[in-house]
Amino acid sequence: MHLKYESTLREPLIDGVKDYHQVTEDIISPIEAKPGKLWYIGLFISIALLLFGVFSVTWEVYFGTGVWNLNKTIGWGWDITNFVWWVGIGHAGTLISAILLLFRQGWRTGVNRAAEAMTIFAVMCAGQFPIWHMGRVWMAFFVMPYPNTRGPLWVNFNSPLLWDVFAISTYFTVSLLFWYSGLLPDFATVRDRAKTKLRKYLYGVASFGWTGSTKHWQRHEALSLVLAGLSTPLVLSVHTIVSFDFATSVIPGWHTTIFPPYFVAGAIFSGFAMVQTLLIITRKVLKLEEYITIGHVEAMNKVIVLTGSIVGVAYLTELFMAWYSGVQYEFDTFYKFRAAGPLGWSYWIMMTCNVISPQVFWFRKMRRNIMVTFIMSIIVNIGMWFERFVIICTSLYRDYLPSSWSYYRPSWPEVGFYLGTFGLFFTCYFLFAKYFPVIAVAEIKSILKTSGENFKEKMVKYEDEDVEKFAHDQTHH
Amino acid sequence: MEQKKYWKGLEELHNTAAHQEAVKNEFREDLPFEESDSFLGATTPRRDFLKYLGFTTAAATIAASCDIPVKKAIPYVNKPQDITPGVPNYYASAYTVDGEYVPLVVKTREGRPIKVEGNEMSTVTEGSNTARVQASVLGLYDVARLRYPGINNGPDKESLEERVKEIALFSELDKQVTAAITGKPVVLLTATIISPTTKKLIGEFLAKYPGSRHITYDAVSYSGMLLANEQSYGKRALPSYHFENAKVVVSLGADFLGTWLNPSEYSRQYGKNRKIDAKKPEMSKHFHFESMMSLTGANADERYTHRPSETGAVALGLLAALGGGVTAPALVDARLKEGIAKAAKAIQANPGKVLVVSGSNDVNVQIIVNAINNLAGANGTTIDWAVTSNYRQGIDAEMEQLVKDMNAGSVGALLVHGVNPAYDYYDAKKFVDGIKKVGVTVSFNDRYDETTQYCKYIIPDHHFLESWGDAEGRTGYYAFIQPTIAPLFKTRAFQASLLSWSGNTTAWEDYLKNEWVAKLGSQEAWDKALQDGVIEPAAGAPLTGAAFTADAGSAATAISAPKTGGMELVLYEKVAIGNGKEANNPWLQEMPDPITRATWDNYACVSNTVAKTFKTELGDNYEINAERRVLKITAKGYSVELPLMIVPGIHPDVIAIAVGYGRGKKQFIGKAAGEIGANAYPFASFNGQTFSYFATDAKAEATGRKYPVGLTQTHNSYEGRPIIKETTLDAFIKNPKEVNHDREHLAHYGEDFRNDATLYTGGTKFEYPGIKWGMSIDLNSCFGCGACVVACTAENNVSVVGKEQVVLAHEMHWLRIDRYFAGDENNPEVVFQPMLCQHCDNAPCENVCPVAATNHSSEGLNQMAYNRCIGTRYCANNCPYKVRRFNWRDWNGADSFEGNLHDTADMNDAITRMVLNPDVVVRSRGTMEKCSFCVQRLQDAKLAAKKAGRPMKDGEARTACQQACATDAIVFGNINDKDSRIAKVRNEEQTDRLYYVLEETHTLPSINYLAKIRNKDAAPVAAGAHKEEKAHH
Repeated sequence: MHLKYESTLREPLIDGVKDYHQVTEDIISPIEAKPGKLWYIGLFISIALLLFGVFSVTWEVYFGTGVWNLNKTIGWGWDITNFVWWVGIGHAGTLISAILLLFRQGWRTGVNRAAEAMTIFAVMCAGQFPIWHMGRVWMAFFVMPYPNTRGPLWVNFNSPLLWDVFAISTYFTVSLLFWYSGLLPDFATVRDRAKTKLRKYLYGVASFGWTGSTKHWQRHEALSLVLAGLSTPLVLSVHTIVSFDFATSVIPGWHTTIFPPYFVAGAIFSGFAMVQTLLIITRKVLKLEEYITIGHVEAMNKVIVLTGSIVGVAYLTELFMAWYSGVQYEFDTFYKFRAAGPLGWSYWIMMTCNVISPQVFWFRKMRRNIMVTFIMSIIVNIGMWFERFVIICTSLYRDYLPSSWSYYRPSWPEVGFYLGTFGLFFTCYFLFAKYFPVIAVAEIKSILKTSGENFKEKMVKYEDEDVEKFAHDQTHH
Repeated sequence: MEQKKYWKGLEELHNTAAHQEAVKNEFREDLPFEESDSFLGATTPRRDFLKYLGFTTAAATIAASCDIPVKKAIPYVNKPQDITPGVPNYYASAYTVDGEYVPLVVKTREGRPIKVEGNEMSTVTEGSNTARVQASVLGLYDVARLRYPGINNGPDKESLEERVKEIALFSELDKQVTAAITGKPVVLLTATIISPTTKKLIGEFLAKYPGSRHITYDAVSYSGMLLANEQSYGKRALPSYHFENAKVVVSLGADFLGTWLNPSEYSRQYGKNRKIDAKKPEMSKHFHFESMMSLTGANADERYTHRPSETGAVALGLLAALGGGVTAPALVDARLKEGIAKAAKAIQANPGKVLVVSGSNDVNVQIIVNAINNLAGANGTTIDWAVTSNYRQGIDAEMEQLVKDMNAGSVGALLVHGVNPAYDYYDAKKFVDGIKKVGVTVSFNDRYDETTQYCKYIIPDHHFLESWGDAEGRTGYYAFIQPTIAPLFKTRAFQASLLSWSGNTTAWEDYLKNEWVAKLGSQEAWDKALQDGVIEPAAGAPLTGAAFTADAGSAATAISAPKTGGMELVLYEKVAIGNGKEANNPWLQEMPDPITRATWDNYACVSNTVAKTFKTELGDNYEINAERRVLKITAKGYSVELPLMIVPGIHPDVIAIAVGYGRGKKQFIGKAAGEIGANAYPFASFNGQTFSYFATDAKAEATGRKYPVGLTQTHNSYEGRPIIKETTLDAFIKNPKEVNHDREHLAHYGEDFRNDATLYTGGTKFEYPGIKWGMSIDLNSCFGCGACVVACTAENNVSVVGKEQVVLAHEMHWLRIDRYFAGDENNPEVVFQPMLCQHCDNAPCENVCPVAATNHSSEGLNQMAYNRCIGTRYCANNCPYKVRRFNWRDWNGADSFEGNLHDTADMNDAITRMVLNPDVVVRSRGTMEKCSFCVQRLQDAKLAAKKAGRPMKDGEARTACQQACATDAIVFGNINDKDSRIAKVRNEEQTDRLYYVLEETHTLPSINYLAKIRNKDAAPVAAGAHKEEKAHH
């Protein structure tokens, strides 16, 4: 019988024999090199999309919300669908950085930086929709509870939209702090390696004078834990509050107590899918396969199949309750106008993408297949977009009074706005991929000590040793 | 014991001067406030930083809040004696367009007429009016009206200014016209004129020009009735109808609630017998036979359809069934035959309480109808021949003769007033050919319309709100018209021209006054007449019949046999647009048709059966796509291309097309009416005696094109949801409570559902200590006519959005009338439900607004603070009634962006904007709006009571919709006032029929509805029957 340093079942968190220097080289050098052609093409397309989005929104603000195809019956369409979708995407980043940190999940280090960046950019995109969907966006500051000369007239603290204002802004602030504080040591690394003056200066400013002293590290660790503690409830609260936008209403299909957990699960579901989409490309392009391993991909696929199934249960619960409640309006909404009716197709896209297709991840082979994962990640995000569309539009378009029933198709400025947020997101992401360390160097190094191949090699001699001898050596050393 | 005194230091002990000084001075050391020499050079120490930050934030916020440009009103330099800014003046007037008779009270503000209401002193209309009357005030400000008199340069020129050369002086025109017409026989062609003084003047004018004649031409003619009455009773006149005396009303295609003769009067009368409560469960029974689905047909208890060519057969069938000694042609349709038998039975069971009316313009059919009425004992009970009605006077044969004479070149001069035969005469081309051969042509029409463009002299008449006049609707019943504003344009009263051309130098207003002072005996009496607006004979005169002398037998033989094969086409008038004269009225164009819910267009109405042959049928696809297949409809060698519209209840072999569309160019007719739809008048024809408004052997073909139609409601069925409650009269008599049986389920929440149905302990009591406004809407006496919709639009400055925006479901109506069909798609039951903000006590919209822009008043009003609204639309989403309306575009220039105005119908012209009610703000783009219960009127009533130092009386505060309702289907008032009508309706009279829409959602609406009662034998549409009905939605 021999000792084992690590379970044979546990996969390495980092592949290949890496030392600290090599880790730095692998992750930091893309920042120092000139980006490739693909990067320029990607950035160009992203900026073009962003500008089209700006044009679409300008058009809408100038001519009025009427250029969107919303109407007297359907007051929200693509705008709020996209808002909820983007907010949901953000959730994976927070979950990875906060909850997995608290649970001491070592595998998070490979993906947390990019996932957090994704969170920030997604929340930035999400925030555009509630702002620009306002009819009088120039009066948007009315939602701020500031002392004013109108009485003073306060905001309506009963309104879930107001809760949204606080929830989203808090979420963004905390996520940004968390992400940025993690970036400090890595920026310092870039600064220290910098060969040009400008780079040294900029990264010097960005790293806030990080020296790597023990005191800095100690404070950094403490701050990380505090922010993780703050972020953890946010993972649950933000989408809970977003779900209140619907759950507190009286509209059949919205008025549901199941929404908070259902929304949170859905958010994590879509968020992990988005992380997969981004990282599968990033690891390939930046050649980081040894840091973002198949093991990472598989771990995230497990989360996807879990949350996807939770969402599936939620869908079935809704159907059950619609029947069991005995409310005619609710029954009609779910069975006649959601699962069937003119918008019924959107429900079945949602069902297929979110509930049926993720079941392939019960198979290990599928979980570890990059191509399958990539396609699935796209499918899941399509499905989750449709989930929000289904909730918002199929509830509104045929509600209580049949005289007001209507139909909805987006107009070009609505589509343009959505594309514009993709532009914003990917512009940010491309800049991030070029100028920021996409993997947390300092955190990778910290796990190298326990999980790196170099370190494990040092343990080989013990594993060959006789158990008795090892025990004797360790006790009487 | 002496108090010990502790001291803090020697200074205190010795109480030095320095110490005393120090005690007095609160701040003993200098505070580090830095005084700067210059403002810009000031430093910002730590202590001041927050202060500056706060100040600049506050300043920036205040500055940012003031982005709406301030527009200044210019005060009067010399205030007119009768005008107090902010206080309305009311003048009596009357709407007499095309012979309708609706006495009015006109509300003017700062000299501008802004609203008309029915004159309640008139016993003919009792204050009722119609959508068209309500909209007539906008007609005053129609920018397409001609603005000056002139001479026509002919149709080759491009612009109106080039076509009509202005003649600066009326005297110059008078000189030219009199020179031209002197010695010639003149033909004066007018629509029905009910002004006795104008008629007298016309007589004098015609006498000046020997051989002259006056021809009355009604675009939609009733000459068949006039001639039939002449044969039957020896009077070429219309009797007065008294629907209020009829227990049985049989209408053979007469749309008397919508478009027939004087609908204001008839809907008021008819409505009286549709009021019902459990203590007196009685109502009239209304049989309706028609080809298309009319507003009146939709309100009938029993409705049957037939081909237009069967109209005579149906009338004969009824007469035969009553034992009238005629043989009726056989009818194929078993249901129709059964209907005739049923109607005959009902007539026989109620002798002397029957009224039969017919919309046919066929003399023989009308003689048969007269025979039926005679047999049924209607003469002297529901039909009064002592007092005749003057609503229509045109004789079609005279018009035919005129067109012949014109083409023969024998008409020397043609004076056209208020008619437009080049558009609405069935053979317009022949008329146009003829008018070109007339030596002198003069038009008094208000715009450069199809006929005016062929007239040499153009002398536009005033709008009636600018005019002096009188009207004799029924014999001896007079109404008076007085100007409510100085003429907006350089127009002249038509009568002034006639006076001048007959050599009379009296001004028209003096002529009118002299006439009436002579009749009434004194200036005071005339002043009072003007003030009251009406003069009527003493009440109590008995209704009188007349001896029926016509030969029903020969009329019966003259009625042509019904056709059996092929499609038939029938023309009808839309409730809002009528014959098309007032079509350039954006309020009317945007008012949804009561039946089709369509705006801004005419279309080919067909049944679902016919539609299926064109790959269209009722269902989701039809509902969600505004694009309709365009059909080519051909009959009598004329064809039009119009979008297909499925109308449940239309006869399967019938195509119905509304007249009043297909007008000329927008620049001449106006943006609202011009170049919209297709003209259906050419489908009419002359049958040797009268015009007939149907055609046999019609053909419909697909064109392969599609065309969007703007509907405000696309789903037809209420899906059996308890939002509509209805029952039959028999069931109601048996058990009045049954119609509301589902309300019993609310009982398990506690005694008081409103209070007890909540999760919160102690209930949700909403306290309204002073006033609590409430409204009751009676589904039984609401006929869906739409007068309230237009009244609301006028009162509350509701924006017009235009057709493209209606297609996008962006219309702004605060009050809409939901129309639902139930039952068989060919013979549906119809119900109308006015739907407006329910002013919920537990309003779902209020708690979701993030900025509290919508909130609740202490009087139970759900209020909108437009200035606070940021437009998240959450409130609209969360409104179960979907009554909130969002300003999707800048409809009225009220936002801060230049050049984004969305106005397709000239609603923002400086002239049109004069119609805006200054008491109601226009809403900026991006804000939500909705019914306010006319809060400005409520405030006005409260303030008036307060100034008078007394409590507000019931009925002083009335909403615009309530006031416009011809049948008082809307009751409104303070429910805290136990003596108010609304409190009585709710707590005493109508406890059985009363229900709240979506009551179970616990929104606690302030509006209740009263269940509809149908006076029919069939069982009500029960829960089980809805499954069948869903197939037809």
